[in-house]
Amino acid sequence: MRRHTKLYNRIAFVAAIWLAIVLPAACGQPAAEMGAAPETQAGADSLTILDWAGYDAPEFWTQFAQAYPDVEVDYTYFEQDADALAKLQSGFQVDLLHPCSSWWGLYVDAGLVQPIDTSRLKNWPDVVPEMAKLGEFDGQQYFVPWDWGYESILVRTDKVEEIPASWADLWDPAYAGRLSIPDSAEVAQVMAAVALDIPNPWQTTPEEDALIKQKLLDIKPNVLTYWTDASELSQMMASGDVWVAASVWTDTYSQLMADGVPVEYVDPAEGRLGWVCGYGISSNAQAPDLAYAYLDAILDPESSANLSNQFYYGTSNRKAFELADPALVSLFKLDQPDVLQQTVFYQTMSAEHRQKITEMWDEVRLAP
Amino acid sequence: MTARAWRSLNLFYVTLAAVFLYVPLFLLIVFSFNDGATLAFPLSGFTLKWYRELWDTPELLRAAWNSVLLGAVSSVVATVIGAMAAVGLMRFRFAGRNLLIMAAMLPLVVPSVVLGVTMLMGFAQINLPLSLWTVGMGHVVINLPVVILIVMARLSGLDANLEEAAMDLGATYLGAQWRVTLPLTLPALFAAFLTSFTTSFDEFALTFFLVGSEPTLPTYLYSQLRFPTRLPIVVAMASVVIVGSFLTVVFTEWLRRRGETQQTNRVDSLAGDPAIDGRRPGPTMRPNAPALGRGSTPRGGK
Amino acid sequence: MRQRRWLIVLMSPLALWLGLLFLAPLATMVVFTFRAGSFGPEHDVFTLENYRTFFGNPTYSRLLLSSAWISFVASVLSILLAYPVAYYLAFQAGAHRLTLLLVIIVPAWISFLLRVFAWKLILGSGGLLNIVLMAAGLVDEPAPILLYSRSAVIVALVYSYMPFVALPIFVALQRIDRSLIEAASDLGGTGWQTFRDVILPLSMPGVAAAFFLIFIPTLGEYVTPLLLGGTEGLMFGNVIQSQFARALNWPLGSLMSLAVLLFTLALLAVFVRLVRLEDWVQA
Repeated sequence: MRRHTKLYNRIAFVAAIWLAIVLPAACGQPAAEMGAAPETQAGADSLTILDWAGYDAPEFWTQFAQAYPDVEVDYTYFEQDADALAKLQSGFQVDLLHPCSSWWGLYVDAGLVQPIDTSRLKNWPDVVPEMAKLGEFDGQQYFVPWDWGYESILVRTDKVEEIPASWADLWDPAYAGRLSIPDSAEVAQVMAAVALDIPNPWQTTPEEDALIKQKLLDIKPNVLTYWTDASELSQMMASGDVWVAASVWTDTYSQLMADGVPVEYVDPAEGRLGWVCGYGISSNAQAPDLAYAYLDAILDPESSANLSNQFYYGTSNRKAFELADPALVSLFKLDQPDVLQQTVFYQTMSAEHRQKITEMWDEVRLAP
Repeated sequence: MTARAWRSLNLFYVTLAAVFLYVPLFLLIVFSFNDGATLAFPLSGFTLKWYRELWDTPELLRAAWNSVLLGAVSSVVATVIGAMAAVGLMRFRFAGRNLLIMAAMLPLVVPSVVLGVTMLMGFAQINLPLSLWTVGMGHVVINLPVVILIVMARLSGLDANLEEAAMDLGATYLGAQWRVTLPLTLPALFAAFLTSFTTSFDEFALTFFLVGSEPTLPTYLYSQLRFPTRLPIVVAMASVVIVGSFLTVVFTEWLRRRGETQQTNRVDSLAGDPAIDGRRPGPTMRPNAPALGRGSTPRGGK
Repeated sequence: MRQRRWLIVLMSPLALWLGLLFLAPLATMVVFTFRAGSFGPEHDVFTLENYRTFFGNPTYSRLLLSSAWISFVASVLSILLAYPVAYYLAFQAGAHRLTLLLVIIVPAWISFLLRVFAWKLILGSGGLLNIVLMAAGLVDEPAPILLYSRSAVIVALVYSYMPFVALPIFVALQRIDRSLIEAASDLGGTGWQTFRDVILPLSMPGVAAAFFLIFIPTLGEYVTPLLLGGTEGLMFGNVIQSQFARALNWPLGSLMSLAVLLFTLALLAVFVRLVRLEDWVQA
């Protein structure tokens, strides 16, 4: 037995050192680090926000930090809108949440958010009315739109001979095997509907559904792959795998430009698609007053301009664009008064409609 | 082909496999020093700015640390529970044994996203707030089958008579397990721990349903993917992990060498150590050996 | 006999943990397959609608079969490729064994996603391989190599699971009595005969364990097919994922998961019968 006990000792020694480093750390801090999550703190010394990653940047809510220096702002990140809704439905405790417009109705229907008294927000009058309207349900404001942006076609100008002028052009066989569309039933539905000139992709008739499905089947020979996130897409565009990509955000465009990749952001004939996200106050918020203060702080023109300059997104505050980078204003075409009317903004979608288009999208993706 | 040729061919193959595993990691390190934000050639210049930004992103550092803690704690728990169960399953015959093996293997079959959602509903029902602890509980569930499989595969080659003998010589049951079974299964436990830790460290599908406000490395990474400009910071973090794990390997090797020089004149042959398998070497044994030991080793439970 | 009380001690942590944290949620999942919607009391009604949707659409059952095939090919390939590595670790690495074990597994500590990004740096249109091919004048227009196809998914699965496959095989090889091998060669067996008649059969429990460890999780994979599968390589995990993480249709997602679970169990039952796993495990 002697010889193997030595090996035993050796593994044990290595293991013991490892455990000696890691375990005390784990056991020593559980209260502080591991268990600190969403326990409901009495009083209003903390504000919990369910948010996309990156929105925790302090320059987005400077006034809040100045007014409430002792309040701890706790962020929980989500990756998809569906996760956020799932967590809230399971009783996850937050004060503020930040979903995007096509999901807002589901929160209102499920009673997960409370009406917002906009008179308590001094920056509310500067909010673009078209966007405010998206957050209004049954005459009450449930969501405060904050960030928005375009989804359009991005093209490698050095690779394609003709730059597509419309969504319908994506079906051109010239782009065979070099097109990427997002792996999202919702975007696919809207994109095909827009190309087919179907007026309301968020409420389609069975005949329209059949047309949309066929249209999406028709685009498959052009598709190299479905993209899932901006980082992946930006690599595929830069590398030259993908020449034309659909539903790309402005930040990807600006990043590729900055890295010297020759790309053009198209202004399609049917209009660009537009996403809007915004904050709602949870119906079981522990600190509603702080939530209002936070909302007003992010709506502030300066905070909003910071968001624009950092992420290359738009914001709902009209005054913010005077403070933002001029290149951004021209990219967003905000000098043109009717730009928002031309943009196809995502509308709220019912759970049933979402299930229907998911099944359609599964069939399209899996068609041989 | 001679044995020697076999050996060098296999060495060549293993080297190739290692290169295959490490080339992508090397490229990640190269790009963590690249001036551009896009992960594509050509390289645009040397910079340390991503590391500076990494240093200025405390959430990312904390996420990495959370993942290390989570991996270590959940793997230790999974290894202990799983190893105990494996001993029970291999050394005792009892009603429902096969059913229990089946049940223990089931977590492998259920996609982790489903596990995550259903556990989330369960925790919501008992009002357990989400935190790293809830994630850890889920990781243990995922890792239990792995541990049980690995430890059972090891125990199946160990002679139960060894512990019997130890107990005949006066050891208690616990004593026999501690002195005989534990040392003999240690390599398997180490392998099981390593596998669990690795799974836990890169687990995302279950984690992000169960995670509270403390992110793990994978949940942080996935949440950053929508910002192409932030990707290089994550790549810088990955490079730190690569170098860190490389140092771990070197450190382990150094510990081994140190242990070796202190114990002079030793021969390492865990695999071939007859004491381990409890069998005596015998030149008379038939080469066709799979039947060896079968039937001749009564189970401990009798 | 008095050891039997230890059985309770040994098994109860597992039973408790799995019972509370796994079997209970699993039961919830089964209940969900009969629900009308994910949330809210108004959806808390018994319905067979999900079963109709699932079985009424041949796309799903076809996908399950083609995914199982992808997983099977990936499992067999990675076992074949990992076996020599495990063999080296067990018999040839000597004292470096522990270190080499770490060397094999450490790459898996880097997020798979980032490693895919890195592979695209090699195989993409602007990747290293294309740069070399262009310089050699072998290609005019660079194109992605091996990416965005079903083969790419298989290769990536093999790549990412190989370390996990090597470990159980290594553990099984390690317990083989060296003297058996010596005996075999003393009796005049060639290296190959020794391997075939002694080492391979004795390592089969590890190979079986490895097979379980890769076949089953790859069936639920969704990241790899999404990143590398293009339009042809999607797997069953992707439709489950889109039900849970996109459509928020938990009842249908639960049913799809149940289908995978039952399908896998059926396959395993056949597999266990075919290869008589019990023979190895109880040997």
